[in-house]
Amino acid sequence: MAADSGEMRKRTFVVTRFDPDKDEAPRTVTYDVACRPDWKVLDALNHIKDEIDPTLSHRWSCRMAVCGSCGMNVNGEPKLTCKTALSDYGDVVEVAPLANFPIVRDLVIEMDGFMEKFQSVKPWVIVAKEKAAEQGTYSQTPEELAAYKQFSMCINCMLCYAACPVVAKEPHFLGPAAIALGHRYNMDSRDEGAAERNEVFRGEGSVFHCSYANECSEVCPKGVDPAAAVNQAKLLAVVDWAGSFVVERKR
Amino acid sequence: MARPSHPQAMTPHRPGSTRTAAPQVPDDFWTRRRMLTYLLFDATGLPYMLVGLLALRVAFALGRGPEAWARLMQDFSHPLYVAFHVLALIAAVFVGVRFFRLFPKAQPPRIGPAKPPPGLLIHAGLYAAWLGLTLVLLIVLGGLWP
Repeated sequence: MAADSGEMRKRTFVVTRFDPDKDEAPRTVTYDVACRPDWKVLDALNHIKDEIDPTLSHRWSCRMAVCGSCGMNVNGEPKLTCKTALSDYGDVVEVAPLANFPIVRDLVIEMDGFMEKFQSVKPWVIVAKEKAAEQGTYSQTPEELAAYKQFSMCINCMLCYAACPVVAKEPHFLGPAAIALGHRYNMDSRDEGAAERNEVFRGEGSVFHCSYANECSEVCPKGVDPAAAVNQAKLLAVVDWAGSFVVERKR
Repeated sequence: MARPSHPQAMTPHRPGSTRTAAPQVPDDFWTRRRMLTYLLFDATGLPYMLVGLLALRVAFALGRGPEAWARLMQDFSHPLYVAFHVLALIAAVFVGVRFFRLFPKAQPPRIGPAKPPPGLLIHAGLYAAWLGLTLVLLIVLGGLWP
């Protein structure tokens, strides 16, 4: 550590704090931290918690952009903090909880609303009748896999919800990740539940709330492109609705 | 630093036992570069609406005879009208370019077993169709054909 001290850079972190037992509303606290050149934003937050202020609360787990736990707004932009290098920032770094979510404490947001939307799109393979074990597995060609694979790479980090201008104004909107996941199953050749999900897509949290700002895809750390999924889902929901006048649906 | 988001944004139907702070968005959320582009895109709805109203005026003038039509054409030569039409053209080009940029990924990735064509080919097709239609309109409205 001492050998690295010459390369260390002092930065001021402006961190949003909120204690539900004491604070009426979120406030900001500044911390001066000597940062190593290879640090990510998460490293600085962990340093603050370990060495300066143990009362700071933030979520994190894998430190390799896989678990999706450490999403926060860094200088106003939704980021995975374990993947966001401090070398891309100046002397002042603002860290806030993900936008558009209720704040539980400090940098920790409430995820229950997200989970409700997530479950509402029925994110599992629906089949009318399960195959018997002796009939073999549900096989899929590489082409069939390619139709949805991109949308299955979502890590549920919720950055897309923090970036979406529609989520900020329309609380019923299902939102990018939930729609992308529902669309992922609609595109799955093994699935037979598209009609059910399309009803959800046309319902209260309708896919048609989306005005294609494309912000969700801009901030997605895994290249899922939820905006593409939402807009493909719009077209398929309309085709499904029109088709329902022609073909009677099985219930 | 931050301003309120919708107070019910991302709140669960059944609130938990912990008191939470209301959702927030960064203060400058709407003025960031990407959002400004998007807002500009949305704002083009205004010139479109005005062009629609002008189209109605054109239709009425056409129905009222040559004098009304001549009066309309005289109005349209006013610098304010010319400026508005230039603005409307810029808005249309801006929307067209943005729409074409986002179009390939908004379409279903495949129809049946066929693979989607590369994005570059879709872009080329869209711009070719735009150019072709513009040329046809110029030829027809310019009186060169039929």
